Amino acid sequence: MRTRALPAAAFAAACLAAATAAAAGGTVRVQLNADIRSTTPGTNRDFNTDAVVMHVVEGLVAYREDGSVGPLLAETVALSEDGTTYMFKLRDGVSFHNGAPLTAKEVVWSLNRYLDPATEWRCRSDFDGSNGTKIEAIEAPDDATVMIRINQPSALFLGSLARIDCGMTGILHPDSVKADGTWDKPIGTGPFTFEGRTPGQSVTLKAFPTYAALPGERDGYTGNKTPLVDTVEFLVVPDDSAAKAALLAGNVDVLPDISNAAQKELSGNGALQVLTSPTMGTNVLLFQTTDPLLGNVKLRQAIAAALDIPQIVAAVTDGNAAANNSLVPSASPYYGDVEKQGFAYDPVKAKALLAEAGYNGEEIVLITNQRYTSSYDTAVFAQAMLQAAGINARLEVLEWGTQLDAYTAGKYQMMAFPYSARLDPALSFDAVMGDKAKQPRKAWDNPAAQKLLDEAKRVSDPARRQKIFDELHRMAIAEVPLIMLYNGTEVAAVAKAVEGYKPWPASMPRLFGVAVAD
Amino acid sequence: MTTTAVPFRLPRANALVGGLLVGILALAAIVGLLWTPYDPLAIDFRARLAPPGPAHWLGTDDFGRDVLSRLLAGAWTSASIGVVTTAAAVAVGTLVGILTGFLRGWVDRVVMAVNDTLLSFPGILFALGLLAVLGANKWGIILALSLAYVPTVVRVVRATVLSLRERDFVAASRICGNSALYTMARHVAPNCIAPLIILATVMFGWIILAESALSFLGLGVPPPAPTWGNMLAGSRPLIAQAPWLGIFPGLAIALTLLGINLLGDALRDRLDPRMAR
Amino acid sequence: MLRFVLVRIASALPTLFLVSVTVFVLIRLMPGDPALIMLGDLADDRSLADLRAAMGLDEPLPAQFLIWLGNVAEGDFGRSISTNEPVFGLILARFAVSATIVLAAVALAAVVAVPAGMLAAWRQDGALDFAVVGGATLLLSVPSFWLGLLMLLLFGLKLGWLPVIGYVSPGQELERGLLYLVMPVATLVLTEVGVIARMARASTLEVLRLDYITHARAKGLSEGAVLWRHAFRNAFAPTWTLIGVILGNLLGGIAVVETVFTIPGLGRLLVDAIYARDYPVIQGCLLFIAALYVVINLVVDLCYPLFDPTVAA
Repeated sequence: MRTRALPAAAFAAACLAAATAAAAGGTVRVQLNADIRSTTPGTNRDFNTDAVVMHVVEGLVAYREDGSVGPLLAETVALSEDGTTYMFKLRDGVSFHNGAPLTAKEVVWSLNRYLDPATEWRCRSDFDGSNGTKIEAIEAPDDATVMIRINQPSALFLGSLARIDCGMTGILHPDSVKADGTWDKPIGTGPFTFEGRTPGQSVTLKAFPTYAALPGERDGYTGNKTPLVDTVEFLVVPDDSAAKAALLAGNVDVLPDISNAAQKELSGNGALQVLTSPTMGTNVLLFQTTDPLLGNVKLRQAIAAALDIPQIVAAVTDGNAAANNSLVPSASPYYGDVEKQGFAYDPVKAKALLAEAGYNGEEIVLITNQRYTSSYDTAVFAQAMLQAAGINARLEVLEWGTQLDAYTAGKYQMMAFPYSARLDPALSFDAVMGDKAKQPRKAWDNPAAQKLLDEAKRVSDPARRQKIFDELHRMAIAEVPLIMLYNGTEVAAVAKAVEGYKPWPASMPRLFGVAVAD
Repeated sequence: MTTTAVPFRLPRANALVGGLLVGILALAAIVGLLWTPYDPLAIDFRARLAPPGPAHWLGTDDFGRDVLSRLLAGAWTSASIGVVTTAAAVAVGTLVGILTGFLRGWVDRVVMAVNDTLLSFPGILFALGLLAVLGANKWGIILALSLAYVPTVVRVVRATVLSLRERDFVAASRICGNSALYTMARHVAPNCIAPLIILATVMFGWIILAESALSFLGLGVPPPAPTWGNMLAGSRPLIAQAPWLGIFPGLAIALTLLGINLLGDALRDRLDPRMAR
Repeated sequence: MLRFVLVRIASALPTLFLVSVTVFVLIRLMPGDPALIMLGDLADDRSLADLRAAMGLDEPLPAQFLIWLGNVAEGDFGRSISTNEPVFGLILARFAVSATIVLAAVALAAVVAVPAGMLAAWRQDGALDFAVVGGATLLLSVPSFWLGLLMLLLFGLKLGWLPVIGYVSPGQELERGLLYLVMPVATLVLTEVGVIARMARASTLEVLRLDYITHARAKGLSEGAVLWRHAFRNAFAPTWTLIGVILGNLLGGIAVVETVFTIPGLGRLLVDAIYARDYPVIQGCLLFIAALYVVINLVVDLCYPLFDPTVAA
């Protein structure tokens, strides 16, 4: 630790400040691995942008810790009998960062702004009918109620509103936009206000002194989100090694996502806390079922039997995660006994299946990239195992942009691919299922399964949905359109002085409810 | 990535040490092609991140692959890329340089305009851009780096040709009735050899360094095939846990370059008439 | 002299145009779609189409090029696809960072290397000569990124003397800013000092053989005077050219040092832009770098008369 001699006056002032700080106060510095793209929720965004903006804005509903959707700015949400009309009753006593109270007027303004094509809202296609659901009317029967009517019942409507990459459909005050219509800065209702940013270097947020917190405990992005520090500084440190070094040197307090190698190294360090949480991201090996070779289901089953998936997962995640062959994330409330069934490592059976498939040692290309270590490491291990089982697999490492092209066009045989977290299993299935003629990127093209999935998107009854997910899982294991390997683990490294930081399945850093001890 | 022509008054020391180091590189490259203690791509789940020891002399990486084997295999890759690229750049550049220097006129102007355009790109960035288009693989890198260095060869050769062209033996050849082509091939070309050898030696070093730098930035020879550059790049996240992963490839590159530079010095002593005493 | 400068700039314009066209064609040939990269695995056809339209990528290619060229002529380099920042401002800010490091490094290296090279030449074959040439050869064989990595490990991590992340501009906070500069500048100094020393030594050797030096000595001038008053100016000319070449090369090679030390410089901007297929930034950066080459070469040529009186101004 480096210390400096302070001049007397400054020292006295510092003492005074510390004395009046009470329980709250201080600054917590958090690493971002890339600069944010903008400060607009749900537009011109990426993961890091969301991470910052979610501290400033709040939506009508938000994700709870377990991935279910709960009310945030809404006090209650009522759904009509026919499943098409939602009534949101707003909470009392909530105000924006500029002091104005939250009323139905601002909610309606925000929602209309999101649906306006000029705003370029990331999730517009989920609400304008392009993907099925269409918002037909938004009304404010009174100051504290907002009504939204959609065209058909949907189990995913609230989830879509709460989606983080949609900006949580954060409610903004109209002053966030300048008189000429261009964006100024986000004026929301969240626990922190947007203070400023130095492009390429940092973003600064300050605690919102009159934040109206929900009672109880913190629960995902809802629950009690009281800010316990004065300032949050997000520092842009793209390089993993530099970030780690910065944490050890005391230049940064929170690294929200460290590599397995770093976890090993930092776990023994008494000056740090290493915290983990399962996430709902999935890591899969995709097959192209229209490929002449891989169109043969026996070959795909042989490949599945030739891989010792638990060992691969243990090696790739350094024991942090367990194997999961189901598209339902292991942290999801829908993950049950059926989903625990999967592929078994059986080299003898693999050989038999290869013979049945009439496999003659033809080359199979396995594509991966270096940007996501999960995909890269998985592919390297998998290729070695396949070779050992007599399957002529060749590794092709592409640059991420190039791999994305191949993925979107469906031009591959096998591919190691990471999917970002979807907090509802229907969306996890949806990411890989579809009509290949229309969407070549989809791995699993099965009309019967598609019907089931569509039903899961429509009905809200959890028991019915569980049955559907169970059935889809069984079909996926039998047909092997892809091999699901594991859900990720979020590992955070945090300075000892930071209290209350907890990683969670949505993978987002949360700095409300976090304090820095002196 | 630049170096210069400098005489060093103890040619024997230079040539000796330089030759030794380059010889070791060549040996390692050939060995790496034919045999390595372990398969450089063989994964060993149980021996991951092992420090140097009796089983693995230089340790293993995070996939359990033997570092020594990878270093040897990488020697072959780096050396072959270096040799082929240098040869290609020199061949193409010499041809273009002689033609344009000898013929002059509008051919010269057009070629030099294109050449200057290519020279306006920093070599490494040009290679980067080309690689993103061509895809990073061994042949893509050879193509990209050759193209990046051809303009330098053209410049040097053209300058030599320009100075040679005024010399008597060239005029004599033309007066005898020899065609321009014959004169170029028979009289001008051989006199370019000395500066070319010096340039080639220097470029070989640049190219080895450039390949490592490209791998370090993520667009070199793609893994899992080992090159010294991508081994160095892969060692960064693990540098505190497994420092041997970063030390050995870096050392290999440094020693190779040292050898090439010393050898280049010794060659210059012998070949560059300006430095003759 | 003004005419000389203007002629040089005018003759560089066709080259710059060629550069623009080449860059444009090259990066559009790259597989990978910036909109797709931004959306990643969450892309669906509709949002992809919307984003591409917003980025102006749905126009035919020649139209896109001409629009860009027209804007550049007016000084508008467009906006970054990734961050929506104006490209020109972005390039200038990043360039200021890279330039600070490169200029400081080259200046320091020259200040150390030129006298070292000259003294080595003066005392040729002596112990000093051996040390200088040996040291120089050793230093220029070490890859800059390896050296940087080792420095980071030692001074940043193990000893904790110097800060490890990012960059603070000395313009903003002088003391802190200088701390951040130490390691990247030191890395570059060490890698370039060898090159410059060798060149200085070579050109000094050449000059020392010449008649007018013998003449100066015969006149009775002290060795020191001979060295500094007569040899230096002429010996320095080729070294000065070399410095120009180094400056140009470092513009490209600095991406590696910036990666190791996490410096928000121009090299890193370009590499990141290539990965993200941020076309406006790539085009703007490469055009800027090419123009910079022209300027550097111009300045180097203009300074020649200072060193070599035989060269016409």
